Amino acid sequence: MTSTSTLAKACRLRTATLVGLVALVVAVSPSVVRAQFLHPKIKSKESLIRNVVILPAKVQVVRDSMKGPEGMAAESELLSDRVEKMVAEVLAQKHVTTLTGPAASSAGDGAQQKYTVADIQAKFDDLLPKVMKKRSDVKKGRFSMGDEVLNLNLEKTADAIIFIRGQGQKLTSGKKTFVVLVGGMPAYLKLMIGIVDARNGELLLYTDPIFAGDPTTAVDRLRKALEKSFKKLSSAP
Amino acid sequence: MNSLRRRQTIVATLCLCLLVSVCGQGATARTIRWKPQEAPQTPPTPQPKEDFKFTKVDLELLDQVNLLDKRFERDGLVLEDEATNAYLKRVGEVLLPRGLNLEHVLWKFRALRDPVPNAFALPNGSIYVSTGLLALMDNESQVAAVVAHEMTHVLRRHTYLQNRSNRKKFLTMNIIAAIGAYAPGGVPGTVITIVTAVAPFIVLATMFGYSRDLEREADLKGIDMMIAAEYPPEEMVKMMKVLNMDIEGEEIRYFYNDHPALQERINYLNSYLGARADKVTPQMELNREKNAYFTKTESIMRHDTQLAMNAARFRSAVYLAQRLVDFHPNSSENVFLLAEAYRNLGPRSPELTEKELTNNAKKDAAKKRAKRTPEEEERDLLATPAGQQNWKMHQQKAEELYQRAASVENPFPAIHRGLGMLYEKLGRPNEAVPEYEKYLELAPGAADRERIQRRIEALRRTQT
Repeated sequence: MTSTSTLAKACRLRTATLVGLVALVVAVSPSVVRAQFLHPKIKSKESLIRNVVILPAKVQVVRDSMKGPEGMAAESELLSDRVEKMVAEVLAQKHVTTLTGPAASSAGDGAQQKYTVADIQAKFDDLLPKVMKKRSDVKKGRFSMGDEVLNLNLEKTADAIIFIRGQGQKLTSGKKTFVVLVGGMPAYLKLMIGIVDARNGELLLYTDPIFAGDPTTAVDRLRKALEKSFKKLSSAP
Repeated sequence: MNSLRRRQTIVATLCLCLLVSVCGQGATARTIRWKPQEAPQTPPTPQPKEDFKFTKVDLELLDQVNLLDKRFERDGLVLEDEATNAYLKRVGEVLLPRGLNLEHVLWKFRALRDPVPNAFALPNGSIYVSTGLLALMDNESQVAAVVAHEMTHVLRRHTYLQNRSNRKKFLTMNIIAAIGAYAPGGVPGTVITIVTAVAPFIVLATMFGYSRDLEREADLKGIDMMIAAEYPPEEMVKMMKVLNMDIEGEEIRYFYNDHPALQERINYLNSYLGARADKVTPQMELNREKNAYFTKTESIMRHDTQLAMNAARFRSAVYLAQRLVDFHPNSSENVFLLAEAYRNLGPRSPELTEKELTNNAKKDAAKKRAKRTPEEEERDLLATPAGQQNWKMHQQKAEELYQRAASVENPFPAIHRGLGMLYEKLGRPNEAVPEYEKYLELAPGAADRERIQRRIEALRRTQT
């Protein structure tokens, strides 16, 4: 009788420990999601980021209704602009200056310059899934876009190029009720931000802030998420 | 108790009815739109969907695609080449039924800077053909085949219809999920749980099935449009065969596909064409057409070869550059592009083997592509004897081609940049630096001047 109750106690303890562990993982996971991955050169302060150029952000949000997702092209454009500006503001707090975008090349016309920017953006889009698969490898200096980034002909003082991607969803009131009653994905915004060396294309920093809430209106939450995302980046002198 | 059980049975029956009605809807739609048709002798020109009435949902979708159109332009995805877009427009206008005026449609025909062979239509009348597809084609009739297919999507309002259908199906899936979340116990509860677990897959299958039906309609109506515009319709079949080549080994068949399999498309197009499939346009005429097409699209092909290299589609780059050299062997730029393609191909084999083209092998390759960067792939291949051999052979071939390109009249300055990069990779900095310098001398305003200057500086540092 005694041994049965001891066994039951041990079982309960094991279950409690398991539940505790799961709770701990759940509690810790949001900070993991907001983690920043720094290239050794940035971590050791061998390279400092003083001036950056932010390439046009590509943030896509959809309105999720009971009848499926609907596009929000205009809102996505506005949000992309807002994220770009906010990243510049957050970096300014760290004394990082945002320079103007790629200058018109001396040889090519406007279309050629547009193509160059599009090609570099496409190159980042190719690299991004690989980075997301193993974000910690940024710390090993594994990822690079190559010296083709120099084709952007940025200002000589530019140290880094910032690429911003994002995806999110807003819920209609019907879907909100559905999520509460049945479950499902809440409204959220996830950003994927890469800072790339403007001279050799090495990925210097990768961060992917995420927050729950309406991506089109949660301005403060967006700012806080971005501030946390660049926490490890040391301030420029 | 009895009333509770009765209620549970009613819920379970309702759930089943809902599912059956959704599946039935797809089947009905299929029966109405798709009838195995015998090839008519004089096919009717495809008519727009006359009974189509715009709803609020359709107009919202129209707003979205109008913005998408602008975004493609702004992001540098549209090829800003007037000659190419005018050419596509001419082909589109030849195919367009005369005197047709469709509500909320403004026809635009444009080339998209994308090395992946693809084409698509937006419901506002914008037709995009990727440079990757244009570069693979042989003649104008094949362009017409693609444009006719895409125009049918617009004429028959496929995007709106699919959007409407998907919305209904999403709603059904959500209702089923809600019922499943509150399933009662007992036998009816078990039935509901099973039905709600299986239902999403069935609904999803009907979504893809509907999409495949619309594609099939676009193929067949496209053939009719080609005949009406006096383009040889068999070129649509040839177009499918071109797509079926799968140079990069990326045509993977999954359980769900929104397009019918290419071989299936070839089969039903052949059967639809019936006797007309034999009336093949004389080879001489096709050659003439091919010549005219290559003359018109040589610059797009060059542009796309470069795009293919940027996107690590090295096998496609070799294939396309070889086509360019075959067409115009004395062009320094064409030979240069072939040299670049071989240099970038590095340790990879120029063509995929039959084993590499099986569905499982393609799935494995796709997984590896998602994990490894092209540089890592190259490093891994170089660790194998076959990779080493390929690398040696391709670098040698590239060097020969660069030298051939330099010996042609009006040599392309970038040949020296290519040679510089080749020698740098081969560990011959003494030869690389002069080539880079020669390039900068011949192209003083090059957009990549700073890049090359930095390479020269780095190489000089290693020399000292």
